[in-house]
Amino acid sequence: MLSTPRLSHTAALILKAISLGYCFGFDIMEVTGLPSGTVYPALRRLERDGLAASKWEAEDKATADNRPARRYYEITKAGKAAALAATERYPLLARLLPEKSR
Amino acid sequence: MSHPNLHDLKPSDRTLLMLMERVVPAEDRADWLRTWYAELWHLRHNTRRANLSLSIGLMRDALWLRTESWRRAYTGTVVLCLVTLASLCVIATFISFAITGSARETFLYYGVRFPHFLIGAPFVVLVSFAMSPTRHVEQGSSARLRYWWKRQFFFSAKASLLLLLSFLFSADLFEAIHGAYPLTSDLLEIVAFVILALLGLRWSFLDQQTRCKQCLRSLTTPSRVGRPSHNLLEWNGTELLCRDGHGSLSVPEMETSWCQSSRWVYQDSIAS
Repeated sequence: MLSTPRLSHTAALILKAISLGYCFGFDIMEVTGLPSGTVYPALRRLERDGLAASKWEAEDKATADNRPARRYYEITKAGKAAALAATERYPLLARLLPEKSR
Repeated sequence: MSHPNLHDLKPSDRTLLMLMERVVPAEDRADWLRTWYAELWHLRHNTRRANLSLSIGLMRDALWLRTESWRRAYTGTVVLCLVTLASLCVIATFISFAITGSARETFLYYGVRFPHFLIGAPFVVLVSFAMSPTRHVEQGSSARLRYWWKRQFFFSAKASLLLLLSFLFSADLFEAIHGAYPLTSDLLEIVAFVILALLGLRWSFLDQQTRCKQCLRSLTTPSRVGRPSHNLLEWNGTELLCRDGHGSLSVPEMETSWCQSSRWVYQDSIAS
């Protein structure tokens, strides 16, 4: 059985934010209060480790809104397990981030 | 993928984007540019977030991609191993230089000690070979002379650098007390050299065993195979893979009469 990776508090916070539906870089910056120099490299690391996956928004939807398409992040199955383990490790994590209103 | 129109951005953002674009590896560049163009565009057109700055994030993201591409390219390679050992030799020389205060003194100090090294090194090598791990690696297919020579050259270079490093560090360790206690420092220096060289060569043998027999890169993704409780019925141990797909190494957990040694199998032998 593969063990879930141990995440730093910052990585766990970012992963938790993604799992709550904050999927764009500066949405995550805003909700976590972390600076851009921390958030963007951390997103790359989470993606490399298979805990998050990035996708591009549908081009036609973005064109209809007259704006460029953005890259967004989703949590993976392994990421969900890691986020759950991180919540147990850092019990205050869940209280730090509000659920995203849809 | 179309190239984004950077003129929609602020001049400062545009300049930064064009500067950092050069840092990003070529294969990731178009995707990176598209990502950051979109991020900066949305930030500019979102008045609620006007106080946010993405400049540091943009720079660190580009640098992360560059270092990650180097990490992927060089981790476990022969070049990294030899360059690291050579760099440690240079550092050891600088330490001696810092202690003595002049380049001439440093080389004079090493020059006096070098005959000790020339006498001690063959004995250390002899003992290391005699005590080297007994498990040998079998070839999965016909002998490949070219790879064999490549492995021997790499091992010789690595062992030579390790011996040199042991000599330099052992000389550095007792250089400060050499003036006051010359005999004691000479003796301690020889003991330190023997210990460091034996440990270094031991590591060198173990490192050599866990490298790909073709490209000499360190093997990765160790995975447990089989069950120890079935040791008399089936093979169990660890399998390691070459990240470039040249082959796999099976290391038995316990030596048995039918599985005494590690086995390397070339990928083309697996396929055929």
